[in-house]
Amino acid sequence: MNNVFPTYEVGSLPKLNARVKAAKGQPVSGVDLEELRHYAQRLSIPCDAVIGLFERQNGEQRALTAEEKSIVTDFNSLFNLRLQEQLGLDFVYDGEARRTEMYHHVVRHVKGFELAPEMTRSRGPDSWRMGICIAPPSLKEGSLPALVTREFDFATYHAARPVKVPLDDPYMIAVMSDNRYYTELVKSQAPAASHPRQLRYEAKQMFTLALAENVIRPQVQALVERGAQWIQLDVPAATLDLEHLPIMVAGINAVVAGIENVKFSIHVCYPRRVSLTEKQGYDLLFPHVLKLHPAVNHFSLELANADHYEQDLAVFKQHQDQRRFEIGIGVVDITQEQQVLGRMETPEIVRQRILRAATVLGDPQLVFVAPDCGLRQLQLERCIQLYETMVEGAALARKG
Amino acid sequence: MFGIYLTGPFGQSQALYQARNEEKRGRGTKEAVSQQMIKDTQEVLAFQQAAHLDFVIDPSFSLYYLFQPFAEQVEGVRVGPQENWFNNNVFYWRPQIHGPLRMQTGFTEKYLHLGHFPHTISLAVLPSPYTLLMLSDAQGYADTGAAITNLAELLAAEAQHLVTKGIRRIQYDEPAIVVKQSLGSLREEDLSLLRRAMDICGHISGASTCLHTYFGDAGPLLPYLSALPVDGIGVDGTETSLNDILKQTYKNKEIALGLVDARNTSLENPEELVEKVRKVAEKTHPKKVWLTPNTGTEYRGFTHAAQKVAILGEAKRILEMEVREHE
Repeated sequence: MNNVFPTYEVGSLPKLNARVKAAKGQPVSGVDLEELRHYAQRLSIPCDAVIGLFERQNGEQRALTAEEKSIVTDFNSLFNLRLQEQLGLDFVYDGEARRTEMYHHVVRHVKGFELAPEMTRSRGPDSWRMGICIAPPSLKEGSLPALVTREFDFATYHAARPVKVPLDDPYMIAVMSDNRYYTELVKSQAPAASHPRQLRYEAKQMFTLALAENVIRPQVQALVERGAQWIQLDVPAATLDLEHLPIMVAGINAVVAGIENVKFSIHVCYPRRVSLTEKQGYDLLFPHVLKLHPAVNHFSLELANADHYEQDLAVFKQHQDQRRFEIGIGVVDITQEQQVLGRMETPEIVRQRILRAATVLGDPQLVFVAPDCGLRQLQLERCIQLYETMVEGAALARKG
Repeated sequence: MFGIYLTGPFGQSQALYQARNEEKRGRGTKEAVSQQMIKDTQEVLAFQQAAHLDFVIDPSFSLYYLFQPFAEQVEGVRVGPQENWFNNNVFYWRPQIHGPLRMQTGFTEKYLHLGHFPHTISLAVLPSPYTLLMLSDAQGYADTGAAITNLAELLAAEAQHLVTKGIRRIQYDEPAIVVKQSLGSLREEDLSLLRRAMDICGHISGASTCLHTYFGDAGPLLPYLSALPVDGIGVDGTETSLNDILKQTYKNKEIALGLVDARNTSLENPEELVEKVRKVAEKTHPKKVWLTPNTGTEYRGFTHAAQKVAILGEAKRILEMEVREHE
């Protein structure tokens, strides 16, 4: 474990092609099996059993049974752990191998939500299945194993390095959902002359806090009972609504309050660069995040895509007299655009970025090293190369 | 005296999502997407006609963001980095303008299905020059005044061109001015820029115009907005207090009340909407009151968008019944 510039993954990795196809009942091609065998050998993971399983499924032209799916999922989790360990990451997890997608994985386990009939557009043709809050949200009975404890137990049993668990932040779920229930509740209780903006704020606050108390905090408690040491709350949309930043902070504080002996971090990415105010980027988080619970002492930030390390980190330095946040600096751009263009950072660029960040923050001990965000959208080979570049760059930076 | 219409793109159907997703993953074709888009467009046009909307809008299924026609089709502009579209989990690409732009028209046509459904679509949405400038990177101008003049001239020419294609109402989308107001970052200069733009593109021969604000509180700006040289102003009723709307008079001006929340699946009560419309008509003396969604319904799916259209239609039915009874 490196004490200076330690490295970690933010969250997700792509699922193995063979697994995705088999889960859909599609034939697993020879290329997919060869790919699996190649990576498994590279990572010294026994794979004969799982390959035999895919071959049987192919021969019998059927979908995987529940038991087979479980074997394949375990294999993918172990694969991701070993991938991170063998490539030299200091903190590891299972690459969210058991989760469908970060938002949907949680929402489908929440009582009080129904899924929208259609996908909602977000980025060009990219869409997501929005959850509609129709009653106070809470976890469905018995959902914790599927949500988080099974993956955590598996990861901690097999991991040779310390683990960091990524979880959705309540504000992020609120932002991505339709807040029908609290909107109607607040309107029904408010005086007729109430300002609609105030009602919207109150409805969002109630929604976020309910998600914090009843959906996210129970997951955190279950993880802590099992020995989790580091939990990361993912709030990519932190700067989406500048007037609602206090709600984001209140949501996080409601999740972590009173929970001891655990490190909490927050992952934020792609902050608003055009805010129509004098501030932009991570400046927008301040001064609100100064009110975060003291247990939340670490930000994981996307920085490589914009490559404005000095500007983006200056605000954290500026407020160090009040809060000395550790920063997990994104050192490699994980966008699909870069993959399409075949561009990637070199270890030397990573080294420079780490040292630039350390210079701005004034203390190398505050700097952790990570990709900009989860890698789920990328090809596996590219993920491996990004990890290698990141780890090598961090090693170079440790030398100065 | 009263009327209804939709103010932006419509929520996508699951079939359209699937066609797009298949195409994205190399399993489907552009033709399949196009066919589904036409089918859905026909359905939405039929909805609007069945609900007796006064203007019919293209549901804009081929449009991913407001500036897309401008960024992709106008010479001198290119598509820039992606940004969040205000406080939505939705993105746009920041136009990179290398001005001054030469006058050119027809850049929105491809996105409006005007060729497929001639004489059906009567309302077109264009970005307001002020919002366009605020959310773009503009180079090559002496100052922001020169930039907004150039953009307003370009948009005025496009609006005038659309009139020749059967468009009878031009809506200029203007979220930025009210969002800045709400965030406390609005300056006198911003208001001057908007005024300068509307002086150029606010009146279009052969069509009525509306400066449609959303995502922010228009209340404190209403005295200013109602004095702009434009036929109507649109107000986001989910952000602006009805009391503030009622404080102002809108003589010789139309007002579009965006009281139907396109960003929430909670269904409005048509009776309550009618009550608000009636109050505004009685107390503020506008030339005409329009009942509309606050913004496009693309922030939710097709089903909920259709429900919002039905609510508009029901409100109109009640209003017309009241008028008939009164007569």
